[in-house]
Amino acid sequence: MIDKIAFLFVEGVKNFTRNKLANFICIITIFINFTILGTFFVFGYNTDNIVNFFRSKYTFEVFLNSDISLDQAVSLKNEFLEDSLISSVDLIGKEESAKIFYDEFGEDIIEILGYNPLPVSLKVNLHDKDFDSEKVNILIEKYKPNLFVDEIVYQGNYIDSIESRINLSIFIFLVLVLLLIFFSIQIIGNTTSLSMSNRKDFIEILRYNGASNLFIKTPFLIETFLQSLVGSLFAFLLVKYGFVIINSYLGFNIKIDDYLWVWMIVFSLIVSSYASSKSMKRILL
Amino acid sequence: MIDFKDITYNYSHQSGVYNIDLKISKDEFCFLVGPTGSGKTTLLKLLYFDLFPHKGKVEILKYSSATIKKSSIHKVRKKIGVVFQDYKLLKQRTVYENIALPLHINGVGRKKIKQRVNEALDLTELSHYSKKFPNELSGGEQQRVCIARAIVKNPDVILADEPTGNLDPTTGHRILKILEQINKEGTCVVMATHNYKLISDKAYRVIELNEGKVVSG
Repeated sequence: MIDKIAFLFVEGVKNFTRNKLANFICIITIFINFTILGTFFVFGYNTDNIVNFFRSKYTFEVFLNSDISLDQAVSLKNEFLEDSLISSVDLIGKEESAKIFYDEFGEDIIEILGYNPLPVSLKVNLHDKDFDSEKVNILIEKYKPNLFVDEIVYQGNYIDSIESRINLSIFIFLVLVLLLIFFSIQIIGNTTSLSMSNRKDFIEILRYNGASNLFIKTPFLIETFLQSLVGSLFAFLLVKYGFVIINSYLGFNIKIDDYLWVWMIVFSLIVSSYASSKSMKRILL
Repeated sequence: MIDFKDITYNYSHQSGVYNIDLKISKDEFCFLVGPTGSGKTTLLKLLYFDLFPHKGKVEILKYSSATIKKSSIHKVRKKIGVVFQDYKLLKQRTVYENIALPLHINGVGRKKIKQRVNEALDLTELSHYSKKFPNELSGGEQQRVCIARAIVKNPDVILADEPTGNLDPTTGHRILKILEQINKEGTCVVMATHNYKLISDKAYRVIELNEGKVVSG
């Protein structure tokens, strides 16, 4: 049995080295497709991080009436903290507001106007876990009529639109992934067909000598496996080190799944075995 | 061992074999003779299930054309050695590799393969050619490689389709001698030929075909 497996493996490797042009085209196709797919994997893997990044910025600012005292502001802050949606509340006093104004606009408002018109405000930070923008809107609406509150500024709806764009991108990515898989299947299947057509005599002789379909298929499957292995391995290296370079040169923090190589290689092996099996089934009817 | 039961197989162009009833027993050596197009190759193809009869059934080594599944045909072929007129050798493989092929298919171990291939090479007097490629050999030598490949797996039946068709008379006799020797060792041999001269002095059974029908035998 071991000798038989060794024979079939050697046959597969011989097929691989003989059909140089067809194999080269197939490897290039797998390489291109799986580089794109691998990039999609990385984007998909980072989508959660991106969303979480936006969500970490989920805050709303409550500008208080100018005539309220610090005690009243603290009491309102404590009232906010009782809500389960809120993780923390920062009280920003008039002096601190003036400092922020100076940092942002480079002007000292007290010097310009002779007094500090900036109100006391509360920066309300929301929990990012189980975030629900509807609940936040209800919370904001609840506090808008409060006597101490002058205005509430919330960027959540803007972030929602970013999130929906991210979701749309994921959907487009998925469609592209499916198209790429379909394209890969076609190319790999055609390469197998071509390889089998080139070796029609070999297949015929094997058959007349009692070879089963599995015996005939195995070397071609090994050939396809080698194509996928080489193509996807190079694709993985390009994707991984491409993002490593992007991260180091552009200062991004794109995370790469530790098991990306497994995903890419195993996935390419599955796609290619399916494609070549389908093609062989058609030929070996 | 071989039983044709009222076999009919016709090609689209009005030729084939019709209502054939034949029995060939174990250890028998028989010739299928007849002019070109008389149905010799068709009968052999029916025996290794390359063709299936339109009427009747073929039985060989307990396998029947009526019941055998496509996925089981390889099991029959493992027990049959086929010698082709056009040799059907792998041009990119050496003589040794060509002969070893059926043994690899049958899952024989490497050591055993070496031993059996050497035996087949000795029997067919090809020991000096084992490392050569088919295109470096003459027609007669290639035919002997084909025979060696057929016998190396110790088949129960050898089906030889015009094995001397492309060869000169001396080489033809030599090939026939090898097949006779294989038969003496207990293998049933069915040989199709239109070379009456070659078999004229042989005392084996002769099945004569003409226009797809058994005329005698």
